[in-house]
Amino acid sequence: MPKVNVKLKVNGDPYEVAVNPSGTLVEVLREDLHLTGTKIGCQTGDCGACTVLVNGKSVCSCLTLAVEAQEKEIITIEGVGLSYDKLHPIQEAFINEGAIQCGYCTPGMVLSAKHLLDKNPNPSELQIRQALSGNLCRCTGYARIVKAIEVAGEKMKNPVKEK
Amino acid sequence: MSIPKFTYLAPKTLKEALIMRASHGSKSSIMAGGTDLLIKMGLRTLQPEFVIGLNSVPEIDYITLRPGGELAIGPMAKLSAVVEDAEVEKNFPALSEAASVTATVQIRNMGTLIGNICNASPSADNATPLMIYDTKVVIIRSDGERVVPIEEFFKGPGKSVLETGELVKEFLIPIPEKSTGSNYQKVSTRSKVDIAGICVSALLTLNNDGTVSKARIALGAVAPKPIRVVKAEKILTGKTPTKELFNDAAKIAREEASPISDMRASAEYRKAMVEVLTRRALDASLAAATKKKN
Amino acid sequence: MSAIKGKNNLIGASIPRIDSPAKVTGKALYAGDIILPGMLHGKILKSTKAHAKILNIDISRALALPGVKDVIVGKDTPCIKFGNWRLFPNTQDELPLAVDKVRYIGDEIAAVAAIDPDIAEEALSLIKVEYEELPAVFSIEDALAAGAPLIHDENKELKSNISLDRKIDVGDIESAFKTADYIREDTFVVHPHSHAYMEPCATLAETDSEGRVTIYTSTQTPYIVQCLLASTLGIPENHVRVMKPAVGGGFGGKMELRKWEFCAAFMSRRTGRPVRFVLSRQEELESGRRRHGMNLKSKVGFKKDGTLVAKDFEAYLNGGAYNSMGPTATFLCGNFGAMLYRYPIYHYRGYHVYTNLPPAGAMRGFGAPQAMFISESQMNMAAIDLGIDAIDLRIKNAMVTGDKIEGVTTISSAGFVESLEKVASETKWKEKKKNLPKNKGIGIGCYSFISGGVFNWFNTQYNFSACEVRAYDDGTAHLLTMSCDIGQGSDTVLRQILAADLGLAVNMIRLTAGDTAMTPKGDLGTWGSRVTLMNGNAILDASKKIKEQLAKMVSIKFNLNVIHDVAFGDGKVFAKANPKYGMTFGEAVTLWVKANRGEELIARGVYTPRDKGLTTPAYSFGAQVAEVDVDPDTGVVTVEKITTAHDCGTVINPLGVEGQLEGAIQMGIGYTLSEQFAMKNGKTLNTTFLDYKVPSAEDMPQIVSYKVDTYEKEGPFGAKEAGEGLAIPTAPAISDAVFQATGYRCKDLPITPEKILRSKGKI
Repeated sequence: MPKVNVKLKVNGDPYEVAVNPSGTLVEVLREDLHLTGTKIGCQTGDCGACTVLVNGKSVCSCLTLAVEAQEKEIITIEGVGLSYDKLHPIQEAFINEGAIQCGYCTPGMVLSAKHLLDKNPNPSELQIRQALSGNLCRCTGYARIVKAIEVAGEKMKNPVKEK
Repeated sequence: MSIPKFTYLAPKTLKEALIMRASHGSKSSIMAGGTDLLIKMGLRTLQPEFVIGLNSVPEIDYITLRPGGELAIGPMAKLSAVVEDAEVEKNFPALSEAASVTATVQIRNMGTLIGNICNASPSADNATPLMIYDTKVVIIRSDGERVVPIEEFFKGPGKSVLETGELVKEFLIPIPEKSTGSNYQKVSTRSKVDIAGICVSALLTLNNDGTVSKARIALGAVAPKPIRVVKAEKILTGKTPTKELFNDAAKIAREEASPISDMRASAEYRKAMVEVLTRRALDASLAAATKKKN
Repeated sequence: MSAIKGKNNLIGASIPRIDSPAKVTGKALYAGDIILPGMLHGKILKSTKAHAKILNIDISRALALPGVKDVIVGKDTPCIKFGNWRLFPNTQDELPLAVDKVRYIGDEIAAVAAIDPDIAEEALSLIKVEYEELPAVFSIEDALAAGAPLIHDENKELKSNISLDRKIDVGDIESAFKTADYIREDTFVVHPHSHAYMEPCATLAETDSEGRVTIYTSTQTPYIVQCLLASTLGIPENHVRVMKPAVGGGFGGKMELRKWEFCAAFMSRRTGRPVRFVLSRQEELESGRRRHGMNLKSKVGFKKDGTLVAKDFEAYLNGGAYNSMGPTATFLCGNFGAMLYRYPIYHYRGYHVYTNLPPAGAMRGFGAPQAMFISESQMNMAAIDLGIDAIDLRIKNAMVTGDKIEGVTTISSAGFVESLEKVASETKWKEKKKNLPKNKGIGIGCYSFISGGVFNWFNTQYNFSACEVRAYDDGTAHLLTMSCDIGQGSDTVLRQILAADLGLAVNMIRLTAGDTAMTPKGDLGTWGSRVTLMNGNAILDASKKIKEQLAKMVSIKFNLNVIHDVAFGDGKVFAKANPKYGMTFGEAVTLWVKANRGEELIARGVYTPRDKGLTTPAYSFGAQVAEVDVDPDTGVVTVEKITTAHDCGTVINPLGVEGQLEGAIQMGIGYTLSEQFAMKNGKTLNTTFLDYKVPSAEDMPQIVSYKVDTYEKEGPFGAKEAGEGLAIPTAPAISDAVFQATGYRCKDLPITPEKILRSKGKI
């Protein structure tokens, strides 16, 4: 089966890749674009490790065909914070609140959190937990992740100027 | 677990999709959100040579109120859109609830309501609410359209009345009468976001005197396909709701269920839950209907 | 150590994890993220039969497929058996690939390396295996029945499917029970449980021009992988370099040499190209290691006043097709059966049984969750029968500092009673229990866990734990260790320990961890809660040597007594009495280097628990109270609140310990309520996270925790085990709460809505 050329816009950057029609977005991100921050945890859409934003919505990149992601705005974990010095408030909160252990679920968690907070800057604890229902974590018991998202939400509402 | 290779086809209209479908027949699969299809392909339970993606068809992602009081839902309307739609929440709360507990946030952002139904899984969360609201399935093929009531749509596990040359064009759901209450109930091992162990939807419309003018009960995951419990609906109709009446209806529902035992639950448990959930769904429907009537 | 105590603020500091910026930006590299030029993709063909002879394997069609670079079967390998229990070579029962026989569905038969994963997968489908099926056994009962097929008939010393047993005999059990006023005997069944670490295993191997192998692999024990990989390849250990990248959780599931590690290394030697294996979740769940299912029997006797008199405990472990870490689980199950309470007389019989199931291995708690589920449940049942409150009964019998189990262990510190008292007061235990609303329950479970093992089953010639510290003239230090951070946070804690001791800031410590070519030999890795205590002690040993050298420089310069007068802190080395007399750490190193002909200041530190009994140098303790709501009609259990008080000695990093506790509760809730394997004729049916139900964020209760203040003299700065043991108490606590709510007492995990309703006659 011949490969097809696909134009992707990832984290604002244009890419053109020849992909198998059966190639999933996560495969192309990781193997072709070397954006390995997006993880593969299950390939059945149950764990959320591969979560990315497509046109602002969180999706499982393991169940998204690369050919169907054409012309859309894709944000991966690499596009959330610009550098170690310029982290997104969600990333800062994940670090400071101890929301990270093995870190394998973290990129997906951060993108699910971003999807939530971009839509709803004042989520209740229950809304946060519901928003994380598609992201499994085996290390943290979620408590600190939930807390980090609360803290990040506050900070995103009231951004403090850099010292 | 990579996805087996296929040729991807991108029709520009539903008509074009139908032509592709007609020429490739059973070697092809229609893909809407892809969340179910790609898993099946990854697990090698389905290996189409051609995938016809509806993603490229414009203007079929809609949820809209049609003149005449019907809600129309298009084939690319995502489950998250169903959850967020104010008309759905107002008029079809059982559907709103079912859609909100279908899979996860990400899957709801990708998967479509119609796709969820076309898979004809016995446990599809959204089938039972669509059944209690008398949803009409509009099916198109190259030479025309036909309309099928949703309870006739399912044939068995993974099987529907859709023929190879056909597609679901949209769902039409009539807005219920004012004094109607409806409810969706589900039980499963892990919180709400879980494949439905067992689910029940109910609907009651009340007359001015408080008697039931219309009743609907639908069960999921307890038979080879989602089913209506017409027998129980009949004993409710025309009567004044009482605890005993609901208990009787729930018992009938239990008897009508013919579940299997599998790794998700045993048949006995499923039958028992049908009774519990039917009673709860009727109670909640009555409360909602009474509130609306007054 | 008194020179340090109280003088720095790093011990007990909630420092965010050192590795979190890399992880939160997606920059941390896991084994499956690493891509090397020319890399091939490997896949493994696994048995579809539970028990069968291999008559023939035809790989010709696979080899002929364009893009396939190598196909191997068992006979292509040196056929050297391996296993973690090197001390008893007879227990080493696995081959890198099956040769004559397969013993479970998932047993590895052949491997393929190809230019892309799709071709590799296609090649697998072209390999034809001819089997002659043998009768298979899956349950302990069937495996031990007369005439059962011998799963390891090649081992002529085995007369049955029992691969190993263990006995503990403390005192005369028969006469002890005669003195009891109350005896209860219970039979329990506990189920297997998946680690379900989020990162499926991955390995990348490359070979240099001299045939030396480097592998990047998702492991918690690089040294064990190095040794066993070298022996199975038939090359010197020093020709194998194991590098541990970021690891996405282990929980005991990544502490052996695994078949794909061998195949990656072996095929990279054959092809001269890097070979990478990345497992799928389906493979992990279908045939990955799991916690042992067990059949347990326990007889326990009390005096009328609740004083324990004796316990007779028997465990049959369903080990699956190979020993794996089962022997350790068999030993530890017996040790943990003796824990928590003062059983004056204790007998244990443990049997590790081969079956044709996927092998069970080490998993968080390592024999303790099973042993303590039955013993804690028995305490709760006995409390009711004796008319004594369950917490009072525990306090009456609780182990305290200085207690001994003859020939097994000594308790060097215990904050168990304090933990019990704390959860009782904080939850208003007695009051709440008396006034339980309908369908609500409150229950208790307790635990104790080891801080690393003493028994040398790996038969290492080296110290159990080791490190190297290098001090530099720029005021920094470099810590090299084979201890592995697999998510639990040791990279942060170990740097905290060294920084605290040297008086440096944490970011002045560079860390190299888990690289067998760079880090000192002789650290057995991360398991059994050993890292903080054992590697922490090794670090303090090295640090002491560095400090002695630097103190010399400063004492000479300022005329100080080197033993009494020199202190380290704030990046300086100075006179305790007058910090003015001193210099920066870097200046002190410069002086030392000048005084030593330009040598580098390097010190090695080691720790081996000698004369610490048979089990461990130190134990953690804790008590946990669960509060639940049970839907009387559906049987669905909702855990509403978990309150824990625990004793883990000095807490080095509270943020890390609390995170471990919360994660342990999640794993415990899954174990108790939602996670189980659906098996049919040896095949695992639920191979996705849709059906293997790991608790989600919505399933988690309110979590409250208290730390009981203790100091463990065997541990660095008084620290001991934290985190692993916390996976133990949740099951008995929830089970007890469910009993209070419903009257259903679970003796057969997991607790399901169906079991609850059946017990009530509702279905």
